[in-house]
Amino acid sequence: MKVTVRIWDFPIRLFHWLLVLAVVAAYVTATLGGNLMDWHGRIGSFILGLLIFRLIWGFIGSTYARFGSFLPTLPRLAAYLRGRWYGIGHNPLGALAVFALLADLSLLVGTGLCASDDIAFEGPFYQLVDDESSRDKLSGLHVQAFNFLLVLVALHIASIVFYRVVKKTNLVVPMLTGKKEVPKALATTVIGGGVFRFLTTVIISGAVVWGVWEGVEIIKPVESAPVTATPPSF
Amino acid sequence: MKTKLTLAIILATATTAALAGPIEEQIRFRQSAYSFLGWNTGKIKKQVVDHPETFNKDYVAAAANAIAAVANSGLGELYGAGTDQGTGWKTSRLKPEFFQKKDEVTVVANNFNTAANELAKIAATGDVNAIKTQFGKLGETCKGCHDLIRIKE
Ligand code: HEC
Ligand code: HEM
Repeated sequence: MKVTVRIWDFPIRLFHWLLVLAVVAAYVTATLGGNLMDWHGRIGSFILGLLIFRLIWGFIGSTYARFGSFLPTLPRLAAYLRGRWYGIGHNPLGALAVFALLADLSLLVGTGLCASDDIAFEGPFYQLVDDESSRDKLSGLHVQAFNFLLVLVALHIASIVFYRVVKKTNLVVPMLTGKKEVPKALATTVIGGGVFRFLTTVIISGAVVWGVWEGVEIIKPVESAPVTATPPSF
Repeated sequence: MKTKLTLAIILATATTAALAGPIEEQIRFRQSAYSFLGWNTGKIKKQVVDHPETFNKDYVAAAANAIAAVANSGLGELYGAGTDQGTGWKTSRLKPEFFQKKDEVTVVANNFNTAANELAKIAATGDVNAIKTQFGKLGETCKGCHDLIRIKE
């Protein structure tokens, strides 16, 4: 007996696909460089907003969006690897991948905010790092975090293909529709989430991103002030 | 005997210094030249892209001319043998592959020179939008070279 459960709520699905688009766009703009670097910074900041959104939603979103519902604890991992894990959200190994992806994306965005391309673009926190070798290292770490993201994304996609081909389970459609057919015994009522919480979370995330860019003017007004319009006398 | 030994030591030290000197010096000049480029691109960025309301034709033209002058100064001379290993103002970030990729480097370096000269020409007109477009193209050529021969930390 199977029933249909709405495992991925609308905000989670929106988050997921916007993240995919934004990461691709961030990659393309960073690779092309030039004036597109400004767009790279904007898209990266949008991703920062998405991550803050996901962090909050992990506590107040609907059942399967909550971090607590899929913490990859050792007993759960062990049970999963022995084939004795039963559940319908992220499985423990998948959950490990989710946390790894979120952690690496946070590192990527965090270092990006402190990075410079040494040409004509710098993140809003670049000026806050005084030591030159730390500056260079943070920019380098940013690129390394991206390379690691590629590894994680490859694993992510490989396991989706594995599920499709070997386990005959389609994971992509539920991420689009939110609905999944599960054995009745496993189905639980989905609670949490909702429009009001969604909008509140969006507003908070937006406010943090705005603060990241505007707050620097308050901490270090001199560096971020525009240059004088006229040339110096010598 | 003692004098001979001392002489030998002095000579040896002097020779090493003579060899090490130019290498370190080349790296130092190279790093200075690129830092100076970065200072000037930063100025153009602020007045042309970030705060066009502060645009001043002379200020931007001076920066563009400085970039073109550095580009035309023959920076290639600062890439002598051994300058991938060493410390100028800081440890050099020149990739050792530089020495196998000289043809490719010539292409990206020429792209940079062309873009820099073009920017100086356009900056003289004072057309902010045209300057912005060409400034973006110049930045792509900086990146083209960095991607090819500059070590990512
Ligand atoms: C021909 C290749 C080439 C081009 C073109 C080029 N760079 Fe570089 N750049 C390098 C290399 C190589 C280094 C590392 C030098 C070293 O550490 O020995 C470097 C280093 C730098 C640095 C760091 C300097 C330091 O030591 O602190 C800055 C800033 C920089 N480049 C800016 C620019 C800008 C801006 C442009 C374009 C206007 C540009 N570069 C064009 C090759 C290039
Ligand atoms: C999660 C989103 C992000 C992704 C996927 C991403 C991706 C990348 C990639 C692939 C590069 C390397 C380009 C190259 O090889 O030269 C790069 C460079 C850079 N990014 Fe990001 N980035 C992100 C977020 C950010 C943010 C938020 C900022 C700052 C606001 C930022 C600032 C920079 C800077 C300054 C560089 C140049 C570093 C260098 O060339 O050494 N990035 N980014």
